Amino acid sequence: MGHKFLVAAYCVTWALQLGYLLWMAAKWQRQRSRMRSGTHSRP
Amino acid sequence: MKKLLIFPAVLGILALMAWGFYQAIYIAPTEATMGEVQRIFYYHVPHGILCYLFFSINFVASMLVLAWRRSNPAKSLAADAWALAGAEVGTLYCTINLVTGPLWARPVWGIWWTWDARLTTSLILWLIYVSYLLVRRFAAGSEMQALAAVLAVFGALDMPINYLANRIWRTQHPSPVIGGGPESGMAPPIAAALGWNVLAWAVWGLAVLAIRIHLERRQQAIDNAEAVAALAAD
Repeated sequence: MGHKFLVAAYCVTWALQLGYLLWMAAKWQRQRSRMRSGTHSRP
Repeated sequence: MKKLLIFPAVLGILALMAWGFYQAIYIAPTEATMGEVQRIFYYHVPHGILCYLFFSINFVASMLVLAWRRSNPAKSLAADAWALAGAEVGTLYCTINLVTGPLWARPVWGIWWTWDARLTTSLILWLIYVSYLLVRRFAAGSEMQALAAVLAVFGALDMPINYLANRIWRTQHPSPVIGGGPESGMAPPIAAALGWNVLAWAVWGLAVLAIRIHLERRQQAIDNAEAVAALAAD
């Protein structure tokens, strides 16, 4: 009974943490393409 | 040189996370009354403790944004990146704390949620920082950072209220197990597993914070360069 709640809690924790990392990776990728298309040099 | 250090740092953090997980699942003893579900404690509590750390970083950085706003705009902009990163990582940790809490409460208390002082002030804390992030996302103009900083400074007042809630008021949420008086405390193997998980999630969170600050500083540089380019084109 308690086991599925334990698994759910650990899975949700990792899903949220890794989801945030993925969101940052996507942001980093967008910044890179903006820097490439822009006229300015790398900050 | 910097790139050479990144690989061992990532390996070290992953090893620490794995060690924390091993401690929580395999080393810590099964609690007598709650059974296996009590192991949620090793993820729920570190996220609750550490969201205070990241919200405190947001608080200090927001004060610096306001202090340096006119005298040193460059430093103010750097502090703003710290404030934003602190609020985002703190909100992430607070969200995990708020999600894992009900997943622990349901099998133990028989309910997902109750409006006691600890839980309610935790929800208010989360709502304050979600509001802060929404202000930053949707408010426009040069005053946005100052407006967000003021919200952050007042929002931080909920932290001590939340911390003291189960010390001052009678709550469904358990009394504090750390620094809660003579009747508080944990068995040494439980305390050790908790300590390792607090350390692991702290190091993880600080690494995520560093990446987020770097991204925001880069964003500021891109925005600045694009503004200069647009002015030059006029």
